[in-house]
Amino acid sequence: MKRIEALQAIVDATPDLPVVATCAATSRELASIEDRENNLYLLDAMGLAISVGTGLAQAIKDTNVSRAVVIEGDGSLLMNPGAAITAGYLAPENLVVVLLDNGVYASTASIPTQAVTIDLGRFAESVDLKVLRANNTEELAVALKQTLTEDGPWFIHARTEPGNEPGTKLLLIDPVVHGDRFRRWLTPRLSA
Amino acid sequence: MSTTITQDRHREVVDALVGLAPDGVAYVPSASIAPIINGALEAQEKGDLPLVYAVSREEEAVGLVSAYPFADKFGVIIMQDNGFGNALTALTTMAVSYHLPLLIVANTRGGLGEYNSMIHSISEPVPELLRSSNIPVFRVDRRNPAEDWGATVKEAGNHAKMTFRPVVVLMEFYDHKDAKAKA
Ligand SMILES: [Mg+2]
Repeated sequence: MKRIEALQAIVDATPDLPVVATCAATSRELASIEDRENNLYLLDAMGLAISVGTGLAQAIKDTNVSRAVVIEGDGSLLMNPGAAITAGYLAPENLVVVLLDNGVYASTASIPTQAVTIDLGRFAESVDLKVLRANNTEELAVALKQTLTEDGPWFIHARTEPGNEPGTKLLLIDPVVHGDRFRRWLTPRLSA
Repeated sequence: MSTTITQDRHREVVDALVGLAPDGVAYVPSASIAPIINGALEAQEKGDLPLVYAVSREEEAVGLVSAYPFADKFGVIIMQDNGFGNALTALTTMAVSYHLPLLIVANTRGGLGEYNSMIHSISEPVPELLRSSNIPVFRVDRRNPAEDWGATVKEAGNHAKMTFRPVVVLMEFYDHKDAKAKA
């Protein structure tokens, strides 16, 4: 599956859940599908998405918002694998990490990542995340459904094709305005 | 039981952290602040702090507690100043750029009383690194009585919330009146 097809499956499964997206092409393609108020784009901060998602999962625990969803890439995860270790250690049952693994740094000239040979799903298992695997959009949709109804911490290892969706617009947004849009979407729902 | 000036400072900082009522406290270990980390863990056991946890690296801590303000919550990081090199990209591109309040209390190294021959190479430029990144720094050392350490930590936490940004308190533990005060 293409990354944009995987992102479409995630959008379909998360109309009312906070979604933290890793930087660059992943955030841009997510916004190109639908620039939803429940999306939080990390405009830079490569390698930080799982940490931010774990913190968000802590912050919404025992509220009416049932899950914190993270969209991470293989290159970004490899930049900060400790974040996954800490997620496994803290084990928030309301955390869902979706790894879109295309084996390359798609945002930086498609240079191969270490995920070409290292199985990041196996890595996630070794740090006590509950791993599901998805090789197409149907499997991804099924996996997402399971993670939104059964307790995690979840890690969906989704294999995607290398490459970016052509013609996707840059995200030329003020991070303060963007973050506040997300906060104003999230906070009323915590006690609603 | 009498306590040393350093123990009093540890206690004041822990009490100030509890007083700020943070929603989570992430820590990266250091011998100098181990008593503060242990104090925070004891406060968690007593129910005075909700969530105190270890992370493997400073930038993770920044990512984790940066997320709290999106849910109108607030977090604290306990670390050592040599970790600001690890934390700087996350601090600037996340916490500073998105205007996310958080408090960092960090012990300093590389100054008076230091035994390590290279740690000053990162610790000395830290205040300038932070200030040039628009991160305010408040400092306490041997000249500040213990209660001032606590008051500084408490007000730095309020300052972070009031000004919507990360704020750092640097604590230099060396004190010639306490032989056990670590660098
Ligand atoms: Mg990739």
